[in-house]
Amino acid sequence: MTDVATPRVSETAAVLIEAEAITTEAKSWSRQTWERLLHHKLAVVAAFILVFLTISFWVVPALSPYSFDQVGAGVPRQAPSAKHWFGTDQIGRDLMTRVFTGGQFSIRIAALVAITTTVIGAVIGAISGFFGGWIDATLSWVTNMVLVIPALVILLVLALRFGSGPWAIAFIIAALSWPRISRIVRGLFLSYKEQDFVHAARAAGARPGRIMFRHILPNTFGPIMVETTLNVGAAIIIESTLSFLSLGVQPPVPTLGNLMNEAKGAIDSRAYELLFPGGIVTMISLCVNFLGDGLRDALDPTSRRTR
Amino acid sequence: MALLEVENLKVVFPTDEGEVEAVNEISFTLDYGEVLAVVGESGSGKSVSAMAIMRLLPKTARVTGRVEFDGKSLLELPMKHMRRIMGNDIAMIFQDPMTALNPVFKVGEQIAEIIENHRDVSKRQAGTRAVELLELVGIPEPSRRAQQYPHEFSGGMRQRAMIAMAIANDPKLLIADEPTTALDVTIQAQVMEAIKTAQEATGAAMMLITHDLGLVAGVAQRVQVMYGGRVFESAPIDSIFYDNRNPYTRGLLNALPRLDARTHAKLYTIPGSPPDLLRLPPGCAFSPRCEFVTDECRRSIPDFAEVEPGHVTRCHNWESLPELARAGV
Amino acid sequence: MLIYAVRRIIAAIPLILAATSIVFVLTSLGGDPVAARLATCTTCDPSAYQRLIDLYDLDKPVYPQRYMGWLTDFASGDLGVALTQGERPVKDIMLERGKNTFLIAVPAFIVIAIGAIIFGVYSAVRQYSVGDYVITGASFIGISMPTFFFGLLLQFFVVFTLQKTGWKFFYTSGLRLEGFVEYVKSATLPIITLVLVSLAGESRFQRAATLEVINSDYIRTARAKGLPERTVIFKHALRNALIPLVTVWALDFAGLLSGAVITETIFAWPGLGRELINAIFAQDLDLMMAVTVFAIFLTVSFNLIADLIYGVLDPRIRFD
Repeated sequence: MTDVATPRVSETAAVLIEAEAITTEAKSWSRQTWERLLHHKLAVVAAFILVFLTISFWVVPALSPYSFDQVGAGVPRQAPSAKHWFGTDQIGRDLMTRVFTGGQFSIRIAALVAITTTVIGAVIGAISGFFGGWIDATLSWVTNMVLVIPALVILLVLALRFGSGPWAIAFIIAALSWPRISRIVRGLFLSYKEQDFVHAARAAGARPGRIMFRHILPNTFGPIMVETTLNVGAAIIIESTLSFLSLGVQPPVPTLGNLMNEAKGAIDSRAYELLFPGGIVTMISLCVNFLGDGLRDALDPTSRRTR
Repeated sequence: MALLEVENLKVVFPTDEGEVEAVNEISFTLDYGEVLAVVGESGSGKSVSAMAIMRLLPKTARVTGRVEFDGKSLLELPMKHMRRIMGNDIAMIFQDPMTALNPVFKVGEQIAEIIENHRDVSKRQAGTRAVELLELVGIPEPSRRAQQYPHEFSGGMRQRAMIAMAIANDPKLLIADEPTTALDVTIQAQVMEAIKTAQEATGAAMMLITHDLGLVAGVAQRVQVMYGGRVFESAPIDSIFYDNRNPYTRGLLNALPRLDARTHAKLYTIPGSPPDLLRLPPGCAFSPRCEFVTDECRRSIPDFAEVEPGHVTRCHNWESLPELARAGV
Repeated sequence: MLIYAVRRIIAAIPLILAATSIVFVLTSLGGDPVAARLATCTTCDPSAYQRLIDLYDLDKPVYPQRYMGWLTDFASGDLGVALTQGERPVKDIMLERGKNTFLIAVPAFIVIAIGAIIFGVYSAVRQYSVGDYVITGASFIGISMPTFFFGLLLQFFVVFTLQKTGWKFFYTSGLRLEGFVEYVKSATLPIITLVLVSLAGESRFQRAATLEVINSDYIRTARAKGLPERTVIFKHALRNALIPLVTVWALDFAGLLSGAVITETIFAWPGLGRELINAIFAQDLDLMMAVTVFAIFLTVSFNLIADLIYGVLDPRIRFD
């Protein structure tokens, strides 16, 4: 990743010798490069933490002497101690095991959501941008409509009706998150389809499907990857929010959101019950955002626009 | 006394791949009312040196040397005092008129603003003056045009508005940074004419920065050719055209399209590309592209040689250049 | 501009119809309001049951008949009644809850709008300064933290200071309207939560927009005019950098006014958001639809207003 970010010598020179550019771009140009590097350090650190956390979600419960649903693993409502690092809940289950098992479920759901959202969004965006005309008009209209409807209402209603399983929750979240990525992919396809290599492919007699998937799609891979990464963070937050409202994956499955929901009544006496799962959700989301931001810069150092 | 005296001006940009010497120890003077053309390819340091004089470079740029303007040492002035000179005694015309005007303010307002900023005038007086200035630079219906926004102007018209803005306070020095580069070829001459008229009307000295030697004829009295951050040749305009002593100057001249050339003649281009300032060759920066290159050129950077009073060049072979050129043809 | 606005409004009608259709069908799929009602009602007789069927046209297909029935009533100003609140008219509930939401949405929006400008512009102008890093870091954390977690942390903080010092600066739940001080004490935590949600994102947006502007040629021109840095930033740069923010502001404000579900739930704030989630859980169809339609309507109209303001601020935009 870092080597993608550091511009090659000739590019730097090209930037530099563009004398006109120096006066404005170079305002912070050397520092911008420096910042890019720092951004990447952050992204690299973030990626490390993410990998580390994810592995620990599987390793910690496996090494733990307790199982996540073992009632009475310790004295109920115990503060963190050497025996129970995160303490115990009101029926004496070991919270550390529960939090890490919860992370396991949450990260699986988040990954599922991110992939589903990306696939739906990318396909709709690609079709919309590539074919244009009435297809584009219709799909853009649908996209607008989804954006106008308060997402939480639909989430809640659907979760109430179909919810509870991880797959159902993932699809419900994805069904409401795709417009963002769809707009981005649509924009990319709109610009790419007018470029020479696409004209050339068309002149060579390639069919639309082939042009879309073989010629254009690979070029949109970078931005799609960035969005997918950011979606993981969004999905973790949405999942925990749904669970917090008791509408996510149903107990006894311990997702991070469920654990926070269970802890919300105890903030005056046992705040740690909330802080551990909440801290991990925030940490995952933060790392994902740093990683996504770093990826975006690495892939396209010229466009420094953020959302 | 000269109006502008630049001595050993050096601009260094620190980058994570090393320091870039964008302008390397350049010195020149400019008399009151004189027009100096600064010519070179992109990356030669011509624009950067102008920005350095105007103190418009980012804080990260390290600028050293001495710039004396009208008795004041510009590089040492506090920004507060410098701002009294900017737009007042020294004014700039920028390259791209499409982006150099603020899109959300009316053209008249933007011209009036520079007057209000430096003169003790009412808004109304400044507005009236703005309309007069628009008329001076050849904009038809100036009072209506002053009420329009930049996007309602064509490229040439916008550049005229920029010229009007630049001469609003009768500056002593005009710096025109590639004023016609971004314009359509058809209107370049008109805009150049407007600049010349404006310069003559105010009696200002002018630094005309361009990569096009053809633009310089008939406007400038002196030409300074720059390459790789250094001055390569500096001479009165006639010497540049008829007795230049630098292969790079020759290259620039030969690259001009000529009306008297045979129709099938291929337009000359200087081989290679502008230098990478991070990786300049040890000797003469132009040596990798020079057709008369010698071993000495690759080894050492040539010093200035005086061809005649007022004409200096930076070339090891300046004395034999005319013969070499004849032999080469 | 008027013609443009009218055209946009006409174009919005099918969008609103389609959006409400979807919400209506989905909410109806959500469950049977009669069953929900009967479950909580032990004394209800069959005649009441029949009355509910008539009220909601439950004997007819969901779409289009039941939707059309709801739409006709809604369009004629009859928002229906809230079954779970003793058949209180939905209109009354909307007015009351809407007012409560307004009480936190407006102050929150003011803080967000001003804060975004201050933080965003500061960050951009002092790019790579310590302040910029602090602001950027804080906005990253703000974006990454679930709203409800932040709200709970605030409550924890208040409880903690209460335990340590015996002072209770703010109420952690409910709305108090006995005087201004009581209102401030009860509204502060929900407002802080609402602010955090949007301010983090908006500051980052404003920073990016400002950076783009201050690196542009016309800012260099303004400096070359010898204008004071103040004028360069606050007149030339800000005027341009605010333009893209208008749309973000409009959508955020629409969202705030239509009720923040999570924030209002955590702080037991009796606004539209909490009413909505209660209605969803209780299967109170008319109430649920009314809040949703209000939200859709706000989003669509604020979007239009934003576009119109955009056109006023940016002379390059033409309405045709």
